[in-house]
Amino acid sequence: MKVNLAVYWTGGCGGCDVSFLELGPNLLGVLSRVEIVFWPALVDTKREDLERLPPRSIDFALVNGVIRTAENREMAELLREKTKFLGAYGACAHLGGIPGLANQAHGILESVFGPNFRPAPPIEGYPEDAPAQVLFEALPLEDVVSVDFVVPGCPPPAGLVARFFQAALEGQISLGQVFAEEKALCEECPRKREERRITRVARPHEVLLDGEKCFLDQGVVCMGPVTRAGCGAACPKAGMPCTGCLGPTPKAGDPGLAMLSALASLVRAGEEGEAAFPEEDKILDGFVDPIGTLYKYAFAKYARSLAQLTKRREGMRA
Amino acid sequence: MPETRPRIGVFVCHCGKNIAGTVDVARVAESVSRFPGVVYATHYEYMCSDPGQALVQRAIKEHRLTGVVVAACSPTMHEETFRRAAEEAGLNPYLVEIANIREQVSWVHTGFPATEKAIRVARTVVEKVQGNRPLRPAEVGVVRRALVVGGGISGIQAALDIANAGFEVILVEKSPSIGGHMAQLSETFPTLDCSQCILTPKMVEAARHPRIRLLAYSEVEEVSGFVGNYRVRIRKKPTYVDPAKCNLCGECEKVCPVRVPNEFDRGLSTRAAIHIPFPQAIPSTYTLDAQNCLGIVPLRCGKCVEVCAPKAIDFDMREEILEEEVGAIVLATGYELYPKEAMAEYGYGTVPDVIDGLEFERLLSASGPTRGEIRRPSDGKVPKEVVFIQCSGSRDPEHHKPYCSKICCMYTAKHALLYRHAVPDGQAYVFYIDIRAGGKDYEEFVNRAMQEERILYIRGKVAKVFREGEKVVVWGADTLTGKRVEVRADLVVLAQAVIPSPGTEELARKLRVACGGEGFLREAHPKLRPLEALTAGIFLAGAAQGPKDIPESVAQASGAAAKAVAILSAPKLEHAPEVAEVQEELCSGCGICVPQCPYGAITVDEVAHVNEILCEGCGTCVAACPSGAMTFRNVEDEQILRMVRAALEAADVGV
Amino acid sequence: MSGFEPRIVAFLCRWCAAAGADLAGTSRLQYPPNAIPIRVNCSGRVEPQWVVEALKAGADGVLIGGCHPGDCHYVVGNYKTRRRIYLLHKLLADMGIEPERVRLAWVSATEGARFAQGMREFLAELKRLGPLHENGGEK
Repeated sequence: MKVNLAVYWTGGCGGCDVSFLELGPNLLGVLSRVEIVFWPALVDTKREDLERLPPRSIDFALVNGVIRTAENREMAELLREKTKFLGAYGACAHLGGIPGLANQAHGILESVFGPNFRPAPPIEGYPEDAPAQVLFEALPLEDVVSVDFVVPGCPPPAGLVARFFQAALEGQISLGQVFAEEKALCEECPRKREERRITRVARPHEVLLDGEKCFLDQGVVCMGPVTRAGCGAACPKAGMPCTGCLGPTPKAGDPGLAMLSALASLVRAGEEGEAAFPEEDKILDGFVDPIGTLYKYAFAKYARSLAQLTKRREGMRA
Repeated sequence: MPETRPRIGVFVCHCGKNIAGTVDVARVAESVSRFPGVVYATHYEYMCSDPGQALVQRAIKEHRLTGVVVAACSPTMHEETFRRAAEEAGLNPYLVEIANIREQVSWVHTGFPATEKAIRVARTVVEKVQGNRPLRPAEVGVVRRALVVGGGISGIQAALDIANAGFEVILVEKSPSIGGHMAQLSETFPTLDCSQCILTPKMVEAARHPRIRLLAYSEVEEVSGFVGNYRVRIRKKPTYVDPAKCNLCGECEKVCPVRVPNEFDRGLSTRAAIHIPFPQAIPSTYTLDAQNCLGIVPLRCGKCVEVCAPKAIDFDMREEILEEEVGAIVLATGYELYPKEAMAEYGYGTVPDVIDGLEFERLLSASGPTRGEIRRPSDGKVPKEVVFIQCSGSRDPEHHKPYCSKICCMYTAKHALLYRHAVPDGQAYVFYIDIRAGGKDYEEFVNRAMQEERILYIRGKVAKVFREGEKVVVWGADTLTGKRVEVRADLVVLAQAVIPSPGTEELARKLRVACGGEGFLREAHPKLRPLEALTAGIFLAGAAQGPKDIPESVAQASGAAAKAVAILSAPKLEHAPEVAEVQEELCSGCGICVPQCPYGAITVDEVAHVNEILCEGCGTCVAACPSGAMTFRNVEDEQILRMVRAALEAADVGV
Repeated sequence: MSGFEPRIVAFLCRWCAAAGADLAGTSRLQYPPNAIPIRVNCSGRVEPQWVVEALKAGADGVLIGGCHPGDCHYVVGNYKTRRRIYLLHKLLADMGIEPERVRLAWVSATEGARFAQGMREFLAELKRLGPLHENGGEK
């Protein structure tokens, strides 16, 4: 018995679709056991094909990308209707991803083109060439449809994708499952942790990094301690700090604030005390892009509602 | 806890009119009774009274309550009362919480808003109780033995007090003899009694005490464990002399060909490689200083062995590592003087007749290198003009130490006075910033020095000290007259700053005890816990914690001993269970929690571990833990988040 | 917006700020009832997530009361809090939320008057800033 599979790409870079190739020769085994019923990037399937399917006729659907346009939302709802197990595939669908950072702006198009901007077709063009209707917010998948499981990552690492397929083909997926570890990335990271104090906050290119030492001990913000393990600490092993694409550990809550607290707690300018306050502040001021660093992938899911408060107030005043 | 639905009881107290006069208590009880999880709510005139407590107890049984909220006065007043009452009624005391609607509501607000706030406050606490788990205080046994580190007067006093209270003590001293700096002193202010005369009996008592095990010439190598259960590794250096056989005849010393500066005399005399620090040393035996001995490696000289009649000298003696278990530790590692070599303005210690206070003590001491006659180091002449400089290296944040060394005003007055007694035709000058003589009979003593002994006190700082021929020239300023002062002195005595004894910081690291910025051991609280280190079971005595004179050191030592005895005599150590806890299945061992803990309660291997006896329950590590693996018993994040939401939900005041 | 009554959540250290609030009570010092206190062992236990949750859940401001520098019952907890709030202020500012809505105040157990005064000042500040939420405080 083959299982029916759908894969769809909403607002994203397309890397998630490519990521399946990382399965290598194992992909052949997987493909021999699935029936692709809908996957626009791979086979010629159209929205009409999907609409024609009976409800819950797809066994597994993987949506990658953020929900950015009205069409994204419609497709997500349509897939939800047709699917037994719907999964968020990749950081954008899971957390909002990098496109989710657009929520910092008060309506992305309005903030770029001004308040009177309205999408319109090109002069002498066809109506359907009009830009897509962009939603006010960029949303993670779970904000528009219920999500049954998550294959996290930017893009999901091959090992986790394989784990998903294994579970899917054996019918072993449980609701709410996240295909990554419960412990933080430090569990898999080979770097040595020693000082556990930060005397300077720097970006990776600003310091001569020791390849053996924990990034935090070198003052470089690494999201590893708040991020699920499962990728084998791929970035730290390759010389770059973790940016958090697998999402927070189950009990971390808001990963940005959790890491903010950890970072501030680790800062030291000599002995703690009132005399050290100015120097500590200077160290913290060295942290130049808190939102981009703490919420590279998770802004839409965790920080959006807070950022929206100011926008609502702007609206009230207007 | 079995997964049952919460059954919370809320008890609103009138506190006579204190609460009920402002807050509509009936409405609070009525409103809260409709809050999810609440199965019973009532109000009563005095909830803390016996009938009030009985009401709570009855409700616990009748309504099978799983949690109790008493909306009343501050938890500092009656939390204990109600927790005890609940326990008697069979409810775990940690399932009882107080909602403060008196101090923080009825006494500070009026009218309807007061009632509304009281409802919100009660609801937040109801939310908290719903998340509470039953807890039990942690218990641990105690090793009934203490370790005292440092054999100066503080260490001796602490060891004697603990031993006299009936507990074993291991007294570790780094040098060959106990006694510390007090043994070097001549006479002590303000009474001018002979230092050795009052110290020696205590040294002997410590040595002979059946419960004190004296380990001289030994150092603490490593400490692990925690309060009540410390494991200590002590390195006992070889003295190469069997104290049981040595009869102090001194023949060995006479034949030893080595001469090195004598530390006890601060280098003002020399000693042999085999030596006894001072005649009254305890343990009463010679010590062979292996570093300076010609004999041990390679075996070239054995003159001392040849003359030792009792055959006490044993070149094959090896160092020993002792492993001991102790329940409490007293640190009394004492002080040293800030080196003269650091004083650029006073000649970097290169002028022989510029000496520090302890050197002058040795000159004054009857057992010192000059047998108590005051003779200056360069040529042995009796100095006729002596300048004493106070605050040398102290109270000088720009160049030296910022703090006041506290003892110098007094000992300088003593020095000047004793000098005048020894050299009646001599003139003593004292340069000072101000005189700090805050102690019993201290002010009178300084006045005596100034008035009766005609010692010239000059208020001002000395800018420069330099040698000119046989004289030591002192340039200073008299800030009272505004004039420059030059004294052509025969001897200059610097009241050097008091600093922690060398190795204090290293020892502190081994013990996970904090040092302040200047390296002195840091107390748990500057006012309320001055005898304790932050690490439970470790106590501080004497100048290791900060500059101190003898009576203060002794007092602190006795205090520290009493604190140690309190631990050693407890049948079991109990510790409040509301502390941090690691969810090991979620911990990646990142170690961010470790430096957050001022008590050294967290260790990390694969995952973090909290020693719940050491954890004081601040929760700083919990807030720092990024993954949420570190939690806090009965103050879980989820509880607080629910409390926050309850605090902000529209108040259902019931109309 | 004259009827705007800011809603405040106050996380108070039990050793200092909560005790200071108690003293304000025993001294009968009146202050506005807008803040709901939540007592914690140490300001060091306060997590930035709690603060933000309060803002999301409807608070117009959050007060954190801790011990004066050098007086922390747990020696150094308040220093961690200070740095966390400093960084949180930066983050809030980047999100367009006035950092003044989150206030860290040092209040000792003997400073009942300071607690009451601090509460009045914070309230005035929040009234000046206006509601954080669309329907904020309007009754």
